[in-house]
Parts: sequence; structure tokens; C-alpha cells
Amino acid sequence: MMTHNANVGQLLHLNLRRDWLKLALWLIGLVGLMGGAAAKFNGLYGTQTAMRSIITTLKAPAMVSLLGPFTAAQPYTVAGIYAAEMMVFMGLFVAMMNIYFAIHATRQDEDSGLVELVRAHATGRNAPLTAAILELLLLNLTAGILEALSLQVSGMHGMTTVGNWLFGAGLAAFGLMFGAFSLLWAQLADTSRDATMMSYVWLGSLFIARMATDVQAPEATWLTVYGWIEKLDIYATDQWLPVGLMLAVTVVLGVLTLAVTQNRDVGAGLLPQRKGRQGASVWLNSPLALIARLERTSTLIWLFGLGILGATYGSIFGTAGDLLTSNPTMAKLIGTAATHAANRTIVLAFTNKLAVIFVILATLPGLSTLLRINADERKGYFEALHARNVSRTRLYASIAVYGLLVAVLAFFCGMVGMIAAGQAVMPHAPTVSHLMRAFWGYVPALIVVYGLGACLVGLLPRWQSVIWIWPAYGFFSLYLGSLLDLPQWATRLTPYGWINNVPVAQVQWPTAAWMTLLGLGLILCGGCAYANRDLMVN
Amino acid sequence: MAQPVVSLQHLQKRFGHFQALKDVTLTVNAGEVFGFIGPNGAGKSTTIRTLLGILKKSGGEATIFGKDVWQDAVWIHKRLAYVPGDVYLWPNLSGGEVIDFLLKLNGQRHSAATDALIQDFALDVTKKCRTYSKGNRQKVALIAAFSTAADLYIFDEPTSGLDPLMEAVFQKHVRALKTAGKSVLLSSHILSEVERMCDRIGIIRAGEVIETGSLADMRHLSRTQIKVTTSQDPSAIQQLAAVHGFTQTGSQISFAVDSEQLNTVLTALTPLGIQQLQSTPPTLEDLFLRYYHQQEAQS
Repeated sequence: MMTHNANVGQLLHLNLRRDWLKLALWLIGLVGLMGGAAAKFNGLYGTQTAMRSIITTLKAPAMVSLLGPFTAAQPYTVAGIYAAEMMVFMGLFVAMMNIYFAIHATRQDEDSGLVELVRAHATGRNAPLTAAILELLLLNLTAGILEALSLQVSGMHGMTTVGNWLFGAGLAAFGLMFGAFSLLWAQLADTSRDATMMSYVWLGSLFIARMATDVQAPEATWLTVYGWIEKLDIYATDQWLPVGLMLAVTVVLGVLTLAVTQNRDVGAGLLPQRKGRQGASVWLNSPLALIARLERTSTLIWLFGLGILGATYGSIFGTAGDLLTSNPTMAKLIGTAATHAANRTIVLAFTNKLAVIFVILATLPGLSTLLRINADERKGYFEALHARNVSRTRLYASIAVYGLLVAVLAFFCGMVGMIAAGQAVMPHAPTVSHLMRAFWGYVPALIVVYGLGACLVGLLPRWQSVIWIWPAYGFFSLYLGSLLDLPQWATRLTPYGWINNVPVAQVQWPTAAWMTLLGLGLILCGGCAYANRDLMVN
Repeated sequence: MAQPVVSLQHLQKRFGHFQALKDVTLTVNAGEVFGFIGPNGAGKSTTIRTLLGILKKSGGEATIFGKDVWQDAVWIHKRLAYVPGDVYLWPNLSGGEVIDFLLKLNGQRHSAATDALIQDFALDVTKKCRTYSKGNRQKVALIAAFSTAADLYIFDEPTSGLDPLMEAVFQKHVRALKTAGKSVLLSSHILSEVERMCDRIGIIRAGEVIETGSLADMRHLSRTQIKVTTSQDPSAIQQLAAVHGFTQTGSQISFAVDSEQLNTVLTALTPLGIQQLQSTPPTLEDLFLRYYHQQEAQS
């Protein structure tokens, strides 16, 4: 065993030195979010009236689907509300962080040929994997401790020391578990890209399963793995069982990963490889076709995934927009016609939140295609292309158009999935065109964010990853923003925050028009800059 | 003389404060194979990437077929084929797909010639590119380039990953291009390859082209190694100004002589009674090392 892990300390040291900035930024982001929100909660929900009104909101099926169930019993405390609002959301961020570092420290280094160099020295067969496991352990341990400490000092009413530490421990175990899943996928997948894709498909599936069971069958949430994080019941009964479950799964996954890695070659996955084509198909004849061919699988997954996510949210329209069950006194009071109208208003308000989620998710595949221009150039893939009969403008336009198309289509799939399922389950649902206001309203925001990405690609290729801040912050500020009572300027930092309350309100066509023009202008700007600079060379 | 195919006049390229190319001046004429040699980091690939419009020049002039390499890049690329020094290919496409795709971009088709090239280079085109070795990736790029009907072929150290057998195949195809009257720019540091194939040679050092000309011209400017046995004592030869590195063992002497002074030295040798004479013209390697040491001594 020692020889299998020879020099693992050196490797870990090197990984930490290389990743320290990224690790620090993630930790600051997570802990800042936890502690910052906790410190604000007394002010937000300190009074009984505020508490009662937020609890009614949190108990509505729509909010349950977004944030998880509200299970705390009376007497309600600020801390109890905090746990209900933050747990599922923080879990998502922690899981994403672990997926990133798990793949980064394993397959990405193999793809770049680093592991080959390292393994040729006196390092053990498992040393790179063990170093990755240790890095994840360290990261989650640090994150857990800092999160617990940030809660301790927040002074939130109703919090307990046990609850604070359970919160930290729960998130750490949850993160480790998803890191362990990714390490396993990393053994199966062919490249780091595939491993990342598998990890997100897995996370997405579990999240959707959690959402569906939370609304329809809360007991079944135990089966979704993701739902364990809700079962911690922090600041109420403080259950440690889910932490134990997560750690047990992590250990099992770790053992499994170490077992299967024995039979794996460096730079290859365990899933069988298909043979390639003898020649190119007839339509592979332009840069646009090349991008479509390269992105084929990922595009299909995104379109399909958003469609499923939309349909799952849509399927709770019936429960969400059912005032008769959730508030019978009021329903009786206002009459049938008014109840239908009120139901529709609830669903429209819910649709606004969902549209924000869909549009931000849909931005991701678009941006990732766009950033390929520089990434692939740095890897040298496009050098042969540039020496051919292909102008830079044409290459840029092909990639930019494809990425934008996929982003808009993915958003469309999410909306259509939601509307189709919603119409099926809800009697007297709002009309399709009414719901589609959200689509027309938010597409311009997508184009502006995409345009900002294009500008970075053209003007500041080395800093292009900065663009991810917009969707990440947009998600946070609009998903949690209203619950955290963020000031208006803070939500307006991203183009997503410039859009009015569609589909409740009408689409503001002038705003839509100038935003679309701005976005397209930015895309053109990026193209001009790209056509007039040195290309990235390796 | 006809218009040169490639013409570089005092080409410069800066990356921030680093001056990668200081003064690159060279021409490639129609129908000739031009060898571009220099050590690692001298600026060979930077010159070629500037020629392809991948990098933007900071000064000087660069034209191919009489057109500016930056402004008219696409027009030029219709008549050009290129093989990069490090070939990287989309990992999830097969070699066959890449070859066909690259051909189609220039409006050409997979032809019988392409199949013949695949045979010649013994490449399994159904494999995904990520499974190829460096040599096999180079083969993909070479097959795509050789089966493109172009007027100018640019190769940037094309044989660095190929085995000697494949190197011979490569040289065969370059000779075929030359017979067909095509122009070739071949960058390499395998000097025997350049010596065998190139009509003219340019030597680059630290971003400057320090010499261009045919091998014969360069030899003329350089020294020939002479080994001679005479019947009389030859030690007096040592005194001649054109003689360098003189060594003597009995009646056998060996020395290097400035090529343009060969006649003077031979005239002095003849009265001594030449019994055996062996002259070795400088190899490209000798020339190369000599240029370098000379420059190093100057700087």
C-alpha cells in the first residue's frame, strides 16, 4: 500500500500550491454567503409578523420545490427559517465546488499529460488519486469548520451550538459525498470533459428527484440522496444520522474508486470506446458543422435536461396553484372565479422565479461553447484550421452563433417543458402566450450576458473565465435575493436583474429591444477584437 | 526573375517587451524547396505563424503570392497547405474525419490520392484522435496537406515524431511536390533532411536571419577540410593565412582551408609532391555550428 501511494505528500503539497487561489475564493464565497446571510436574518425576520408571513411563503409548494420543505415545529425561530431557506441552496454550491476540484485534480491533469510526467517518477500508482482525495478532505473540513464558526459569531436568534456544528458538518459530508461521486465518474469517463458532464447529470438528476419528492411524497426524499441534507433538521431535532449516511456512502465510493482505478490506464476511461468513422460525414464541411459535431452530446444533454427540469417544475403547478387546498377559508370567501384568478397569479409569480433559473442555466452551455474559441486555440486544435480557407470572422461567427442558439433553445426547452406539464396538471391554467412572456422577457438578458462573454473572449482572452461570475451571482441574487431583502442596486448588477416581473407584468418591448441590440453589439465587438489580435498559441 | 512566392522584408514581432523576431528577411521562389533552420526558440515557428496570419506582425513586410499575409489571409490560404510543428487534433473525432474535414474547408474532396497517402503513411484512420501518438497525429496533418492541391506547402518540423521509414515517405512526397513545380517552405533542425532536399537555406538565430543562400554558396563561404600526404615536408603550409587547425603526423597533414582560398593552398602544395589528397566539403552541421560560434563570439 505504501508503494502505491509513494510521494503522495509531495503531490498534495503541489496541488495545494497550484490551487490555493481557487480554493481560497471558493471558501471565502461559501463562508461569506453563510455568515453574511445569517447576520442579516435577525433584521429580516426578527418580528412575529415577519416570521409568520415568511413561514406561509415557505410552506407553499412552489417554495418547497425551490428550497426544500419547511419542517420546523412551533415555536418558530429565526434560525429555523434560516436553515430551511439555506440548506438545499448551499448544498448545491458545495456539490459544485467538489465536482470542480475532484475532476481538476484527477482527469484534467491526465488530459494535460501532467500525470504521465509525475508517474514516471517514484510516485505510486494511486498517488494522484489519493492526493485528490486528501485535497477534498482538507477543503471540506476547512469549509465545514469555517461555516460553523461563521454561524457561531452571527448571533442569530434561536441558533444552538450543536445546530451550527451540525450545519458545518452536514455540508462538509455532503460535499465530500459529491466529490467522491465525481472521483468515481472520473474513472469511468474518457476525458475530464466527459467526467464533468457525468457529474453534473448525476447532480441534476438527484436535484430534480429531490424536488419532485419534496412536493409530492416527502418520505421518498430519503431515496434521492440529495434529500439527506434536508433531513438534518437543524436547530430543531438536530439529526446526525444523515451525516453518518453521507460519510458511509463516501467511504464506500472511495473504496470502489480505488478498486476500479487499479484496472485503468492513465488518460483513458473504463467505459468502452467506440471506433471512429472511416471518413467525415457529408455535412461536416464548415466550421459551424465542426462545432455542432464537437458539442453534439453536450448540447443534447442540456436541451433534454432543461426540458425535464421544466416539466418537473411544471408538474407542481396543480399543487402550487391550488388555493382551495392551501387556504380554503380565503377561497370560499372570494368565490370560484376569483379563486381561479388568484391561482393563476400564484402560478405566474412562480413562473417568474423558474424563468430566472432556466435562463441562467441556459446561459451556461452557451458560454462554455463561446469560451472554446480560446481554449481550443491554446490547445492547438485550431491551428490547422486557421491555415485553411477559413477567415477568423467566419470561425468566430460560427462559434458565437452556435453557442447563442443552444443557449436560447435550452431556455426555450425549459419553458416549454414547464408550460406543457403545467397545462396538463392545472385546470384553468394561464394561457401559453401569457406564460411565454417570461421567455420573451428574459431572452434579451441572456443575450447581454452572452455578449459580455464574447467581449472578454475577444479583448481579454486570459481573463475570459471571469464571465462565470455573472450567472453565478445572478443565480444567487435572484434566487435568494428577495428572501434576503437585497437592495435593488445589488440585483441590478447582472442583466438578469434588469428585467421586469414577467410574466405577471407585460413584456417591456423597448427594454427588450435595446438590450438585444446591446448584446448583439457586444458580440460584434468581441468579433472585431478577435479578428485583430494575436491568436492564443500554446 | 519571377515574383517570389514568399517574401519577408525585415519582419518583426514583439510579445509585450520580448522581441521574438528582430529582422527576418527571406524569399522563397516558385518551384523551390526552401530550408529554414535554427535552434529551438530562434523564431522559426513565430515566423511561420506570422506568415499564416495567426500572429500579427509588429513591423516589416510579409507577403505570400504578392499579397499581405494579414489582410489577405483567407485568399492566400486557398492556395496553401500547412503542417504545424505540434499537431493537436479534436480528441473525439477520428483521423479520417479530420482529414476529410480539412480537405473540405478548402473545397476539395477525399480522392484516390488521399487513399494512397493513407496507405503510404500506414495510418489507421478509424481511430479517435486522442488515441494517436505524436507521430500519428503528424501523419494526419501530413496526409491532409499532401492531398491538398496547393501552390505553397509549409512544414514546421514535420518529421520530429516520425520514424526513419516514415521520414523517407515524407521526403519522397516532398520531392514529388518539387517535380510538380510546387514551392515548399520546410522548417527543421534535422540538418541531414534539409541538406538532402532543399535548394536554398535560411539560417535564423535569436530572431534574425543571419544567412540565406544555396548550400553551395554557403560552402563557398566556409572552410573545406583537407587531408593530404606529400613526399616532402609539408610543415610550411601552416604559415599560409587561409589555413586553420593545422595538425601534422609525419608526412600527413590535415587542416581546414577557407573555401575561396583553396586554389592558393593547392598551388603551394603541388611542388611538395602530393601523394594522397582527401577533401571533405563542410556539412550543413559544420556550417550551422560555425555560424553560431561566430555569432556567439561577436556578441
